[in-house]
Parts: sequence; structure tokens; C-alpha cells
Amino acid sequence: MAEQKTVLSPIPGVFYRKPAPDKDVYVKEGNTVKTGDVLAMVEVMKNFYEIKAETDGVLAQFFVEDEDLLDAGQEIAVIIEQ
Amino acid sequence: MIKVINPGLQTTIQDYGRIGFYEVGMPPSGAMDKYSYRASNLLVGNDENAAVLEITYMGPVLEFQQDVTVAIAGGEIPPKINDQYVPMWETLEVKAGDVLSFDFVKQGARVYLAVAGGIEVPLIMESRSTYTLCGIGGFEGRPLQAEDHLKIGNANQSKIAIGTRISDELIPVFSKTNEIRVVVGLCSYRLTEESKKRFFSIDWTVTTEANRVGYRFKGERLNFVEREQPFGAGSNPSNVVDLGYPIGSIQVPDGVEPIALLNDAVTGGGYATICTIISTDLDKMAQIKTNEKVRFVAVDINEALEARKLYKDKINQMKKQVLGQIGGINHG
Amino acid sequence: MTRYEYGGDEFIFVELAEAMSLETNFKAMAITKALREKKVSGILDICPSNASYMIRFNPDLIHPDDLISKLKELEQDVTLENFEITARAVDVPILFEDPWTHEALMRFRDRHQDPTSTDIEYVAHTNGFQSKEDLIKSITDAPYLVSMIGFVPGLPWCYQMVPNEKQIEAPKYVRPRTYTPERAFGFGGSFAVIYPVQGAGGYQLFGTAAAPIFEKEQRLHDFKESMTFPRQGDVFRYRSISMEEYEDIRKQVENGEFRYLTKDITFKPKDVLENPNAFSESVIRRLYA
Repeated sequence: MAEQKTVLSPIPGVFYRKPAPDKDVYVKEGNTVKTGDVLAMVEVMKNFYEIKAETDGVLAQFFVEDEDLLDAGQEIAVIIEQ
Repeated sequence: MIKVINPGLQTTIQDYGRIGFYEVGMPPSGAMDKYSYRASNLLVGNDENAAVLEITYMGPVLEFQQDVTVAIAGGEIPPKINDQYVPMWETLEVKAGDVLSFDFVKQGARVYLAVAGGIEVPLIMESRSTYTLCGIGGFEGRPLQAEDHLKIGNANQSKIAIGTRISDELIPVFSKTNEIRVVVGLCSYRLTEESKKRFFSIDWTVTTEANRVGYRFKGERLNFVEREQPFGAGSNPSNVVDLGYPIGSIQVPDGVEPIALLNDAVTGGGYATICTIISTDLDKMAQIKTNEKVRFVAVDINEALEARKLYKDKINQMKKQVLGQIGGINHG
Repeated sequence: MTRYEYGGDEFIFVELAEAMSLETNFKAMAITKALREKKVSGILDICPSNASYMIRFNPDLIHPDDLISKLKELEQDVTLENFEITARAVDVPILFEDPWTHEALMRFRDRHQDPTSTDIEYVAHTNGFQSKEDLIKSITDAPYLVSMIGFVPGLPWCYQMVPNEKQIEAPKYVRPRTYTPERAFGFGGSFAVIYPVQGAGGYQLFGTAAAPIFEKEQRLHDFKESMTFPRQGDVFRYRSISMEEYEDIRKQVENGEFRYLTKDITFKPKDVLENPNAFSESVIRRLYA
């Protein structure tokens, strides 16, 4: 049975789906991801923190838009485990 | 020794601060939330000015290479020893080989880790606090990095029994919406009456530029009284002839986004300052995160001094509680 | 009219005047010097600034209103009549229009009043100089009083010791730069500054100082006692140097041999105010004698 796993941002900050403005997104919705893959980046206090997958599966959906301001602990995506 | 396996987002060594050098442009640095800082030191029997780790948003992973007493106080970033949750605001015991790590931040922004004896780094201008802008103090003048090894000093005065804790009513609760008290003054005459009112009547959102230097807020534009700029001030209406900035003072460069200056801030400059956060509420400010809300509340100097007195009373109660438990831990 | 203001419960801010002048700065120095000599308990920091000063104190030891009363008394008692300043005259070598600040200022043209010119061309123009060389001559002809220290450790605000009508004025950047190289020589309002360390900044950039004004390692002779070199009351003479001399000084700094050319001086603000030109000439004569 496929389990859903929510991805949280451990820190508050600006949410980025791309490594740089002129680059592609790290992961598209519907893509498979492996444990350790970078899903997104959060910027706070001029630090960039990479959010990584903690499970293998399909990244079903992002809940936040690129460049949205996040709260600490906010749900940013859901992965359906495989 | 303590080995840094993972440094966390921004972990620095801080003590009470580098006091008395403001005149040469040296900001105090030091622990941002002094109340939690004091609690952590108190719980391990340290000097009031002992150096601790200040942890912001995301905790480090640390391996202890010796047995030592520790205490963790401040924002709720739940600590774990060898993956088992351990309480905050309580005297804890760690053994050589134990690994301390932290869960996601639940509330607040900063947590303090004190070890009995304090973190030992050289004194720079009478303080061990890290000031990253100039790269002085703390561990080589910078935030911790993986593979750093921290020495433990001998700044402890008394032995505190394991399990000693601060009672719940003395533990602050942190919220996503906050009131911060300020004394209006300095160059507040530069703001229009309307903008002064607006400053106190809207919720300001903390931006991502919120760190030890200062917090920047988003809200709405504020306006300055029109005038012919005085000689030497510069042309923007938010400019004044360069002057000293009190710690906790708030300025609004170009009227756009207010900035509250904190422990590592610039000590002076050419922007009109409009009010100052009262000393007791600087601790509260330090526990506010990006994207949380702040409402500024004007108080007069007597209210500020009264708040200061209540704060000192709380610290004294905390002291009594912890030091009172030295002989009385086995009663219950 | 002097304004006494609370900076929260731990600071008092005193604005002697809204506009900058040598006289106001001397007055701030005189008051803060007298206060220092009084050794009032509870005072943690005394920070004289350009046209104001600021006190950090412990309100558990002295009530802010009592402190304000003391400061008001001092303001009444202190005069410039017999006030003397003992300080240093210092030769401060500057490489104008150097490649490093040029690179920095070109990167932030979108934050400048005039994106089509350089900072020095812009300020030369707005101050009515024929050329940037004339502006450099005006900056280097007369010495500057270190009127305030701050922003970051050791940054000297410097105000030229010339009559008001000869003062140079420059606006600050429309939006501050996020980068300024270490030792950049800048100008904003009516002040010349040297940035001690790399960082943000909003002053117009004209050049680079060859020698440091902040040295955390404290290797050089001039930094043995303090990481910061400038002191309020010092008189800095900015001297335009060639790339050759710049490189020579950099070598001396690197091998630890550099020492600022300084002369101890004592002067009366009253004399400076009465005849700034004569004072300037005498300082330069003494410095290079």
C-alpha cells in the first residue's frame, strides 16, 4: 500500500523550487524522487538550506509556490512512497 | 571537548556581550535572548557571563567527548540525546560518546546550550562573543562548522544536581504574533503624525532579513515631514547628520521597511531613528521568526523601567529556584 | 535647541543641532570629555557623534532623568573658550579612482543617482568643480577632523576643517550597495569615511586607503593597543598617491612594517573656528616637517 509522506520545511524563509532563477526546477510534480534528492531550497538570513527527500517515491504535489514566504514547520510537498 | 558533526543553520558562541566599546563602533554582540541564556548558565552552575552556544532555527549535531552537565533553554527546538527526547530548562547529564541533536523548531527562534564550565575560546575585548562581521570572538570569529572541536572551560561556580529545573511559570511562551514595547523618541520628529500613528496600528511582518544584526519588517510605507535637509545630512528625507544608534532602535530607510537594530548591528549612521525597543523586549524580539507578526506598542520611560524591574524579579526567582535546589533536590 | 531623548531604558541620545558644523562637533567633544572626567557611576559608554552624542547606562544604577539633569548642567557649564584637544595629525594615503572600488561602484549603477557617470565624476559635477582632479585637490588640500567613530569598528567620519562655503556635499546612494571593498574611501553628506571592513554601504566611492584602519590580528605597530586606529579628535590629511606608492605601502603592511606618519598635536577649537585656513596650513606644515 502506498503511503503518503508530507515534506516539511524545518526553517522559515523564502521557498525556491529552482537552484537559480535561470535554471529548471529541482523536481517536477509527478516525478520520482530518491532519498537524499534535493526537492527545494529555503533562504533565510542569507543562508540557503536544501530540503531533501527522506523517502523514495513520487513527488505528488507542492503546496507552496516558488518564492513564497514559509513558516517553520510548514508543509511544502507530499511524496507517495513506493 | 565537543565535536561538531553538523553545525546547524547558524550556531555561534556567545556570552553576555562585549560591553563598553560602543564608542569605537564595536557592537555588544552576545546572547540575543538574555533570559534564556541566563537560565541555561544557571542550570549548569556557570558564571553569569560564561560562553554558551546560541542556536538559530535549526539545531546542530554534537558529539560529546567527555562527561559533562548541560542545560538547554530558549525557543522550543526539541533536544535529543542519542535520539531520545530530553527536557529543556533542566539540568541534564551527558556521557562521553553521547550525541546531542535537535528536532524541528516548534516555537521561538533561538535556543541556548550551556555546558558546565562554559565554552572556552579566547577573550577578545573582554568577551567570548562571536561577531561575524569583523570575524572576531567565538570560534575563529565565525559560526560553527562541521569538524570543529570545542573546548570546555572552568567557568562553573557551583554543582547543580541533575534534574534541577526551572518551574513552568518562569518559562516564557513564544507566539507567532507579538507585541514589542518601544519608547518613542530620538528622531521621531521626522515622521509625519499620520505615519507615527500607522507605525503603531498595523501588524508588521518579519522578512527573511532577520538575524543577529537586525530585523527588517514589511508593512506599509511611512512618510517623513518635508523639510530642507540640514547641512551634512544627505538628501533623502529619512537622512539625518550621522549619529549614534541605540541597541534596539528602529529606523525606516527611505520610509520603506523599518529595521530594528540588534546585538551585532551598526553603532551609528545617517538614518533617522524613531523609537527604541525596551531592553526586556529585546529577548522577545530574538525569539521571533521570519514571517511572524509584530505589533509595536508605545510605552513611556517609567513603564520601561517597571518592566525592567519585573524582569529582574523573574531572574531572581529563577536563581532562587535553581540554587535553592542544590541542597533540596531529594525532598520529593 | 538641544533635544534630550530616551533611547529605550538604556540609552540617552542628545542632539545638539540638526545640522553639522565644526562648532557643534567640538561642543559634543567638550561635553563628553567633561562627562568622562566626572566618572558618573552607571555609565557604560560615552559615544560622541557628529552633531550629537549618546550615552549607554545602567538604569539600575542611575535613573535616566537624573542622568539627563546632569547632562543639561554640563551643557550649561561647558564652553569652548579654554577647551583644548590633544590628538594626532595623521598622513592617510589614498589611491583615488582605484580598480577595486571602481569595480564595486560599476556593479551598483542601478542604485545610483546618475548611472551614466562614476561616483567621483558625479560629485565633482554636483559640487561645481571643473574636473574630478579639482575635487581630489579640494579633498587633499585641507585636513579633516575625525568627528565620530562608529557604524562598524573603527570607521572614522571625517569633516573637513574649512569654512562652511568650501565644504563638499554628496548624497548617499539611492539604495545602499550590498558590497563595499575593505578600506574603500567614501563620501556621503559632508563626511569622508574609510570602510574598515568589507560590507554594505551607501557613500559615494572615490578610492581606496592603502593602509588599514582596523586590524584584528594587531600585528602592525599602530594597532598594538587597539584593533581600531582612528580616534575622535584626530586630524587626518588625505594624500593622493600613485599606484606605485600604493603597492609599496601594501607590501609594508603585509610584512608588518607599516607605520602611519603621525605627529602629536594640541589645538584649541576656538582657534580652528576663528581661522580654519591658518589651522589647516599649520597642521600640514607640522605633519610633514
